[in-house]
Amino acid sequence: MLETAGNSGSERIGAFRSISGFLPKTAVFIAKRLFGALATIAVGALIVFFVMKAAPGDPALAVLGDNATPEAVEEFRRRHHLDEPLVGQFVLWVSGMLRGDFGLSLTIGGGIPISQLIATRLPITAFVGIYSVLIAVLVSLSMGTIAALRRGRAADTIATSVAVLGISMPDFWLSYVLIFAFAIGWKVFPAYGFISPVDSLAGALYSGFLPALAIAAPMAAVFARMLRASLVEAASREYVLAATSFGFGKPFVFRHFVFRNALIPYVTVIGLQIRYLLGGVVVIERIFGIQGLGSLAVDAAFARDYPTVLACTVVFLAIVLLVNVIVDLICAALDPRRSL
Amino acid sequence: MNSRHGLLGHATTLIGASITLVAMVAVVIGPMLMPYGPNDSDFFDLLSPPSWAHPFGTDSFGRDVLTRVLYGARVSLVVSAAGVALATIIGTAVGMVAAYKGGYADLLLMRFADLLFAFPAFVLALFLMVVLGFGTINVALAIGLIYFPIFARLARNMTLLVREEPYVQAARLMGQSTPRILLREILPNIAAPLIVQATIGIAFGIIIEAGLSFLGVGVQPPTPSLGVIMADGREYFQRGPWVLTLTGLAISFVLLGLNLFGDGLRDLMDPRLRERTGQ
Repeated sequence: MLETAGNSGSERIGAFRSISGFLPKTAVFIAKRLFGALATIAVGALIVFFVMKAAPGDPALAVLGDNATPEAVEEFRRRHHLDEPLVGQFVLWVSGMLRGDFGLSLTIGGGIPISQLIATRLPITAFVGIYSVLIAVLVSLSMGTIAALRRGRAADTIATSVAVLGISMPDFWLSYVLIFAFAIGWKVFPAYGFISPVDSLAGALYSGFLPALAIAAPMAAVFARMLRASLVEAASREYVLAATSFGFGKPFVFRHFVFRNALIPYVTVIGLQIRYLLGGVVVIERIFGIQGLGSLAVDAAFARDYPTVLACTVVFLAIVLLVNVIVDLICAALDPRRSL
Repeated sequence: MNSRHGLLGHATTLIGASITLVAMVAVVIGPMLMPYGPNDSDFFDLLSPPSWAHPFGTDSFGRDVLTRVLYGARVSLVVSAAGVALATIIGTAVGMVAAYKGGYADLLLMRFADLLFAFPAFVLALFLMVVLGFGTINVALAIGLIYFPIFARLARNMTLLVREEPYVQAARLMGQSTPRILLREILPNIAAPLIVQATIGIAFGIIIEAGLSFLGVGVQPPTPSLGVIMADGREYFQRGPWVLTLTGLAISFVLLGLNLFGDGLRDLMDPRLRERTGQ
């Protein structure tokens, strides 16, 4: 959605600029992208809200039990605004969200503000997510570059095979292989539990290593494959031949002509993979006992805590869209043809 | 150089096809060859490590894990295939209509598909399981709903490519109805990439099924699916690590086959890529 908005928007930026001539171009670019993301979140929230409301079952009875007194059910409905008409509920919910209020949870924590739950768990998920992206980037940059430079040779074959294997391993299975190897067999990392980065950064890096690695491995495989393919393609371009014929050294040509141009598709793929990363986070947080947003979503799913599931879904969507905006910015910065 | 790369590409496709075939045969006739049933417990043989009698060991109920994996793979494959079939039908219909009709229908349908595409796949799956309720059929439904935007995009782009071909124009001039043109003229010409995408989609479906069932919100025990068996194995992972690890290995084996096969087919059909690897 953002991509299409961006393509058609590049001409419109011109019109925009004349109105806001004093604003830096970058600010306009960011504002436009953020607005697009916000609109998508709004429509996404609308859809998940009404789909959730269409689900069979009465949340009041699900939480209080079938034997609840009518007064208790009545009180519960009033507290969670379930006595309002649907549209009214939606307006209340959205206007609350805009103020950072996601309503009260049904069962998790015995009915506390969901915003409080999200505030404590989001930093943990953000840490694990960024940690695993960093690992995946480090691994894939080296693997993809080696494969492309040694194209057709043993190193390439090995790197490419490892990448295919990486894609074929479900991350939750890989977690247990890692636990078996590095927590039960060779006791170097903890099998369970996570120290919050708020308490100790070193502790978080240490206790979060296995989960981050499990999430990173399949991603690194995808990134490396992409990087190898785009490096190979960039290396075959005429400007590389031209640069070489000017007498520039191989490392110079690689750094300035091949690598830089291959980075754009690479960064784009990282952005696309955020969807899968966050999916992996959900399962892996659960396996390693990390109290993040993913395990909150699973706990809420089990407890049929509808508003919490709803809030988590919207927050996850918001994270994806926000990351996409950032990726767009990085790509624009990398591509000299695309002026901001 | 050319033939070597061509052959190499061909070789990986063949390896992928062979692995997929072996997995299919194992899933179809394997359970008949096994001397045990998927829920036969032997209380004198609890959690025994892999041996000749039990190549994948036994679980905490003394059930043969290999037998369960073969039965479970059946469930997982059927669930995934059903989900992907649903995604193919909805996605292809949406994409073809969007491309053929154009205008607002196109904009609206594709924006909706893009929106679904922005959700993290597994989070959307979890959300749908809460809405639909846990269970085997709903896992297939969730897979279908999550995966259809990919088919919608693909079918739309392919339809746009063939829409103005002479044979489509001829059919239009002959006064054929739109559904007939879509089904008889356009669909056969865009089917190949859709089939490739479906192959890759089945791998995706298996991961989603396994993940959901592993968390306990997907296929429910006692029905064995790959995810359910792994969830079982998690409970006694320290005492019997083979249950979870070998089941996962079986999943990886199938996924490896499907991924290699799908990638190979895609490379064979994508002329741009063929050109690139054939240089």
